[in-house]
Amino acid sequence: MSPTDAESTDDGSVKMMDYFMQLEYHELLCPVVRRYADQLLEGRLVGHKCPSCGLVYVPPRGYCPICVVETTQADEVVLNDRGTVTNYTVVTPVQYYGQHETEPFVRASVLLDGEGGMMNLQDIVDVPVDEVRVGMRVAAVWKPAEERSVADITNRSWGSAEGCIVGWRPTGEPDQPVDQVQGKAF
Amino acid sequence: MVNDIAIIGYAQSPSWRRSELTEPQFLFPVISEALDTANVARRDIGFTCAGSCDYLSGQTFAFVMNLEAVGAWPPISESHVEMDGAWALYEAWVRLQHGDIDIALAFGSGKSSPGSTAEIYPLQLDPYTLTPLGVDPVSLAALQARAMLDKGTITEREMAEIAARSRANAADNPYAQVRGKADPDDLLREPYVTVPLRRHDLPPISDGACAVVLATADKARAVAKRPVWIRGFDHRIEAHQPGMRDLTESLSTRQAAKHAGVADGPVDVAEVSATFSHQEKLLREAMGLDDHVAVNPSGGPLAANPVMAVGLARIAEAARAIAERGASRAVAHATSGQCLQQNLVCVLEGE
Repeated sequence: MSPTDAESTDDGSVKMMDYFMQLEYHELLCPVVRRYADQLLEGRLVGHKCPSCGLVYVPPRGYCPICVVETTQADEVVLNDRGTVTNYTVVTPVQYYGQHETEPFVRASVLLDGEGGMMNLQDIVDVPVDEVRVGMRVAAVWKPAEERSVADITNRSWGSAEGCIVGWRPTGEPDQPVDQVQGKAF
Repeated sequence: MVNDIAIIGYAQSPSWRRSELTEPQFLFPVISEALDTANVARRDIGFTCAGSCDYLSGQTFAFVMNLEAVGAWPPISESHVEMDGAWALYEAWVRLQHGDIDIALAFGSGKSSPGSTAEIYPLQLDPYTLTPLGVDPVSLAALQARAMLDKGTITEREMAEIAARSRANAADNPYAQVRGKADPDDLLREPYVTVPLRRHDLPPISDGACAVVLATADKARAVAKRPVWIRGFDHRIEAHQPGMRDLTESLSTRQAAKHAGVADGPVDVAEVSATFSHQEKLLREAMGLDDHVAVNPSGGPLAANPVMAVGLARIAEAARAIAERGASRAVAHATSGQCLQQNLVCVLEGE
């Protein structure tokens, strides 16, 4: 942290000072997310299926917050890496400090086929942003095994497969009817 | 007119130097256990209040995630204080005064391990005038201890004796992090960390959580085997700039203790948030506790310091002293800010 040049008034008294501050946090990966990350490196998506309501959490949290029951490895399910866009936002980047994106991009929620599991904040790739739509069928684009990394996976990155899945590419299949996926949040 | 409110359940996590679990993950069993001991279910809770610190967690709105350990669907009535869980309990106590609900849950949780507390607290508590000076909590506590030593209200040996007693008291506390036999002579031979504080004068760095369940009088009598009654509850605050205060006194503690009615009867046990050894003596005097009072029989914050839960844990430990260990009347104290800036006092009694 260091003060920048102070802005002074005519009589020399300080009017304004900027301080840049930085805090670093280093948190251990919790066991359920560590296992999720290990499986990502193997090219597999896993989640926990709530034994009470059947909702699938990906990455697993170790509990279902809806039913308030704990989940364990016994509740682990291997998930499909194909799914349907249920919701999306087109982000037009503003060049604030730390923003590396320069062109409009998509962040979408993808509901996985079969057991389910909602992947949030996913990139949709290989398609113009104005063609992304609710109901669009997509499949994960995995990085080659030797290029995968889970260095950016944290306990707080719910839904992230960053470093292992580049994004989700349209499969070209017919859309799933909007009324079947609209309003799904989990 | 203040309605009688009772503590009907409480639970704590162990105090860990570094937990690999997330805050909601280690809160989950603590809240379940507190409700189990209270003999009530999650759906019975009329109001929930949490105490935690986003600065400590390193994430905005981190407290929202903690609610997952409570269960917030269907939607619940809840609140959050960016303070120790003891103040969450105070809010829950005020909420129960309305009389329209009969059970409330308060909890506090924090992970100090991921960040640097020496950098986080100045930024959280005063980013404007103190942070640029680089004064961290240990440096400020050292100034406070220095002022007490210079005034002659404490000696370094007394400080070591307080630390040794804390560790001995914590020997049987399964939640404690620093425990065991320590000889004050040996402690005094250790080097200073920040003059005049040695390592034993400082609290451990801890991760942990605590939860307490409250009920109105009728409900408490109906469900609780051993309700512990809140007889007095008060908190007071002083100027946040430490240079504006006499650090050898704690006026706000003195006032809170007076208004909570500490002096209205004999005190068996006091659980106080003396995060640094010298503060125990200062608090003891501010609350008017004589030598017969067992102070921090759990070991106190020198044995376990899960920030944001440590004050609520004092209330839970004071309640335990009454419900499980035969005490009749106990006092709990929580603090916030630098050098005992803000203080809360809670007086508890058995039936």
